Amino acid sequence: MADAEREDAAETDTPNASDTQEKNTNITIQRISFNAQFWKQMAEDGSTLLKRMEITVAEAEKRTGKKAVNMQETYTVYLLETRPSAAVNEGQSVAPDALWRRYSEFELLRNYLLVTYPFIVVPPLPEKRAEFVWHKLSADNMDPDFVERRRVGLENFLLRVASHPVMSSDGIFYHFLTQERGWKEVVYETGFQAKAESRLRALNATFRVKNPDKRFMEMKHYSDELQSITSQLLRARARVADRLYGVYKVHGNYGRVFSEWSAIEKEMGDGLQSAGHHMDAYAASIDDILEEEEHYADQIKEYLFFSEALRAVCRKHELSQYELETESLDLASKKQQRDELATGTMRTFSFKGMTTKLFGQETADQREARLKLLEEQIVEGEETVREKTTECEEHVCSGWVDIQRFKEQKDRDLREAFINYAFMQMSMCRKGIQMWTNAKECFSKM
Amino acid sequence: MSASTPKTLPTSGPKSILDICHPLSAEESVRTPSPDVGNTTGSIGEKDLSLPNGTPVDTSSPASSSSLLNRLQLDDDLDGETRDLFVTVDDPKKHVSTMETYITYRVSTKTTRVEFDLPEYSLRRRYQDFDWLRLKLEETQPTHLIPPLPEKFVMKGVVDRFSEEFVEVRRKALDKFLKRVADHPVLSFNEHFNVFLSAKDLNAYKKQGLALLTKMGESVKYVTGGYKLRGRPLEFAAMGDYLDVFTQKLGTIDRIAQRIIKEQTEYLVELREYGPVYSSWAGFEGSLQEPLEGVSGCVANCAGALEELTEDMSDDFLPVLKEYVLYIESMKTVLKKRDQVQAEYEGKLEAVAFRKEERTATPTDVEKCQDRAECFNADLKADWDRWQNNKRQDFRQLLTGTADKNIQYYEKCLAAWESIIPLLQDRQENTKTETS
Repeated sequence: MADAEREDAAETDTPNASDTQEKNTNITIQRISFNAQFWKQMAEDGSTLLKRMEITVAEAEKRTGKKAVNMQETYTVYLLETRPSAAVNEGQSVAPDALWRRYSEFELLRNYLLVTYPFIVVPPLPEKRAEFVWHKLSADNMDPDFVERRRVGLENFLLRVASHPVMSSDGIFYHFLTQERGWKEVVYETGFQAKAESRLRALNATFRVKNPDKRFMEMKHYSDELQSITSQLLRARARVADRLYGVYKVHGNYGRVFSEWSAIEKEMGDGLQSAGHHMDAYAASIDDILEEEEHYADQIKEYLFFSEALRAVCRKHELSQYELETESLDLASKKQQRDELATGTMRTFSFKGMTTKLFGQETADQREARLKLLEEQIVEGEETVREKTTECEEHVCSGWVDIQRFKEQKDRDLREAFINYAFMQMSMCRKGIQMWTNAKECFSKM
Repeated sequence: MSASTPKTLPTSGPKSILDICHPLSAEESVRTPSPDVGNTTGSIGEKDLSLPNGTPVDTSSPASSSSLLNRLQLDDDLDGETRDLFVTVDDPKKHVSTMETYITYRVSTKTTRVEFDLPEYSLRRRYQDFDWLRLKLEETQPTHLIPPLPEKFVMKGVVDRFSEEFVEVRRKALDKFLKRVADHPVLSFNEHFNVFLSAKDLNAYKKQGLALLTKMGESVKYVTGGYKLRGRPLEFAAMGDYLDVFTQKLGTIDRIAQRIIKEQTEYLVELREYGPVYSSWAGFEGSLQEPLEGVSGCVANCAGALEELTEDMSDDFLPVLKEYVLYIESMKTVLKKRDQVQAEYEGKLEAVAFRKEERTATPTDVEKCQDRAECFNADLKADWDRWQNNKRQDFRQLLTGTADKNIQYYEKCLAAWESIIPLLQDRQENTKTETS
């Protein structure tokens, strides 16, 4: 069984699984114990927040509040629990610090991170609405299974940020985890929104970079491919799940007809009747199987959304590169103007040149003043270009570091997801074998 | 009624001798059949034909009612061990001539029965020969359940009659038909069956029998004369009810099976699209390439296993259901015939009761009629029990087989997924050691 294979993972200290996941299915425990081990390792690798603090999204709760005048709104809040790791490792049972957060607050946090760390592949949030679902699965936001999967996803998001070498030491993030009140105000005070809007406008505008960084170009291309393949995969999987569901459920009809048939048989009756029960059980087993498979879909989905985050990093790099190029261009033309003015020659046709021709030579004073202004602008421009160059270089540098980190994380995560998926399929096969063996026993007794 | 005591029953001809002799001969030695059986070859057909009309040829049968009972019990023991006639249908061949195109099947017989001149035969027969045999059996053994033949016309020309699949399904059904006849204690001794298995030139024999056929037609008409049954004996009524419900359930099972095949086929289509997505993903990944290819290959393997399962279902499961639906029809026909014989008897009895004041002895033809009804009932009950037994075995086999096929399918998928686990894990260990 999958559990057996994962035993070593479960044996090591798994703080996350300790008290929250008692009633969950095997697969969830397995997933979480994997998560716990994984994050623990991550925490050991760097001096991240996760080394000092244990973070869980312990539960979800439905709430109803007043939105506007007489308008009711129902929403889900999630309980964030944090505990100092030191205490947990020493085996003390510490009451966790707990606070409630809404999904929209998670969104706000992520937007803040996106703007503040443009060179980081910021982990995505779980989807707001269920996508790529097979038809039997509820797309209702309040569906308990959906809420549960979102809880796991949100926890995953926090753990990813908390284990990130840069973002884990962010003050706003720490505030988000530890203090319920006043957090939103603090976020808004950073003024990230204004920055976010101008950024967004700039990003949406079409621009062409003259000298793009080849690595980032490739990475952007990769993110596009990843996005398209994961969504293709998710769609195909949903259809497969749909069909598989059909195959199992139609077998359930045998249950009824065998039981009806058994009523008119003597020797065969008992065997048929109990075989019918096994067919019923077989048909019913698909519900759990596909529910488990949703976790796999969620893992793939995370990377679908990750591909967007990766793309954003590349786009932002392009933007700063573009800004650098325009500034440089501007500076170059100013320098040219200055040279022209200084030598009195006109190599290029310009409006200014026209006016000089039409209205005659300007006075030496005027020329002097214009030259001075240009010199000032050039100094300013050189400063900006220098700034932009460093910014761009920094972006390339830290961006590339983070992209490498992301790639490693992706390879590890997806490999793990495929292993889990394989185990899931194996467990489905074993269930199938078991049920058909049971049915066969009944048939052979007929 | 004197005739109501079965002890005085004169048995109705050579058929019953065969009935009785067979189990005995099967028990002791095949080589010592009753003399009657030994030299029937030429005359038995005629004798049998005369039977339904109530003109028994040989009334001095050694059979008594107690042996009738024995017969039932012995028949049940027949299965397996004491078989002395083995028939198989195989090797279908297509024949194309200017006139027509048809398929012949090789019919191979192995037997120790003395009715056959040789211990082994191997002949080619076509569908219409089987059809002729069945017709003959129905004519000459009206009191018995004749196993069904596969349907003559399949799905209004949708199916190619000469396609390999169609011919194979039909071959299986023909094989089943002959085996059922060969295993039957009475039918297997039928002369037409013997001829079918052994005659070099079946067509010549068929022409010979043509005159008799027309005679038969009339006699059937006579029996079918409209008469409303007073009351079916409970046990036969129960048989009818059983068959009705069973037909209905078989219909449902057939629909479910077809639906499953449809769902599985669609599932297969989706799997065939799903697997390759992994391999196109593998195309632009580095270290994930192997796991992705692994998953893709695994999905393809599972799809292959699924395809086999679906094929097995439509090739093996559905035809058996179909055969049973036809088998039920045959059974219903026999039940109807039984009702007719009973009706005839009741009609005569009524006529006698009408004339009862005249105090004449019960006319012999009424007695004969009663004999025939009793005989029919006994044959039918024996066939019914045999049929029930067969049905139980067939369905046990069919359903355990289906379960096996499903188990095998899951085992194949399980093996496929198990085989890629090391592929998924090993590399991970490698990268771990590389990084550390």
